[in-house]
Amino acid sequence: MAGTPIVIDNLVKYYDGRCVLDGVSLQVPRGCIYGLLGRNGSGKTTMIRILLGLEPPTRGRTLVLGEDSMRLSANTHGRVGYVAEGHNLIQSYRVGRLISLCKGLSLHWNDEFFGRLIETFRLPMDRRVRELSAGMRAQLNLALAMAIDPELLILDDPTLGLDTVARRQFLELAIDVIQRQGRTILFSSHILGDVERIADRVGILVAGKIVADCSLEELKDRVKKLRVIFPDRAPQELYITEIIHQQTQGREMALTVANWNAQKQAILKTFKPESCTEVPMTLEDIFIECTRPASSPVLQESEV
Amino acid sequence: MLALIQRELQDHLVYIVLAGLIVAVMIAVAILTACWGMAPAGLGIGGAATALLLALFCLLGAAQMYADRANRISALLATLAVTRTRILAARVLTAVVLISAIFVPLLVTVVAILYSIGTPLTLYRGTIAEVSVTLVLTCLAGHCIGLLAGWTANRTIPALSVLFGMLLLMSFVIVKGFGLAAIGLLLLFIVASLLHVWHRFTSVSF
Repeated sequence: MAGTPIVIDNLVKYYDGRCVLDGVSLQVPRGCIYGLLGRNGSGKTTMIRILLGLEPPTRGRTLVLGEDSMRLSANTHGRVGYVAEGHNLIQSYRVGRLISLCKGLSLHWNDEFFGRLIETFRLPMDRRVRELSAGMRAQLNLALAMAIDPELLILDDPTLGLDTVARRQFLELAIDVIQRQGRTILFSSHILGDVERIADRVGILVAGKIVADCSLEELKDRVKKLRVIFPDRAPQELYITEIIHQQTQGREMALTVANWNAQKQAILKTFKPESCTEVPMTLEDIFIECTRPASSPVLQESEV
Repeated sequence: MLALIQRELQDHLVYIVLAGLIVAVMIAVAILTACWGMAPAGLGIGGAATALLLALFCLLGAAQMYADRANRISALLATLAVTRTRILAARVLTAVVLISAIFVPLLVTVVAILYSIGTPLTLYRGTIAEVSVTLVLTCLAGHCIGLLAGWTANRTIPALSVLFGMLLLMSFVIVKGFGLAAIGLLLLFIVASLLHVWHRFTSVSF
């Protein structure tokens, strides 16, 4: 566990009797860009807020840079950059004042890098934060998070509200940060193309549970979508474990299955299918399959 | 910590200006009372000004917490290199700084007046100290009431709580008078209030 920037152990969170996180456990290794995926309300933001100590957990434990989230020291806070969903900035402040406040409350402040970001984003110093567009607020938040030279960068849907050009700039910046040795990024996003482009590990959160936690390549490798055609009617039950989704129409069956292997292939052969073809899947396809209401936990580190 | 205190002072500048004005009035009244012997009127104005000061510190505490919750200030601050305890400590220290900044000139003026009219200061040293400490602690207790009442999304609750708490505090000082008993009880109230506020502030969701 030592040296692992983020450790989440059996995290449970209830809001007014409603379970938001249900026994989430995961680890983000140093130097990793971890993409956290999930539909709206799946618990991504809650998990991130608990990690940062902004929200107390109902049960379980989270460690950030080796410290318990609810008892993070100022020193550890200073090593973590955070871009919040909706951009938690003091709306009544002018941009210049907010910057000087953040600068005054940081451990390290990379003036040169920050200046470059401000120039790139063309942020007006004399305008109030509430007068900025959503995109500009996102850029300001990102610039503030990056300027402290964070050891761990946590981004909660950071590209929300950014146009295509700004999103591309952000991704390039994220890559720039990761290229500095030992930097770790945890980010949640709805834009799967972004995740696919920069993440080297992904976690999929569905209704408060982690259904996948592995590298992007492994995820693509392990989740298979098959189009199986049977000579007569397709069977109701295939007796194959880890089926994520199964849809039958007459002789044809569309099957999405996790951890596809020779054993499962042999079981399928016993049903004597006429043909079995693999349908190529993008991350978006995998995400949609995994987040269907009926899908079951599929890919955890131990299984992969 | 200095950056946090500076932020609190800048954000609540209106309270600083008002406190400065009230103290200026108190100093002027003290000088006029000494020079022209307007003791009854002077005492009345002085009493009203003290009540206003107390109200001001109650409102300052409430404003600090209410503005934080309404504008989600701590949600940002808590992600920077500070802890929740430091954020709260900065609020209390801001009040302490402000109280010191207004009571020191007032005390100096009173001592100077007493000295200039030939009052034996050694005789009144204890009384001056007891009155000063009671007043300072009353203002600090008022600030604590504000901190307790301010952490809510409702505007009415803090306003009513501040009013009720302030009246209770003023009645207490009037009944007990300026002295060691009042000082002891005020200290107990301040410590208990701060512990409660700290516990709530460090465990609440931002």
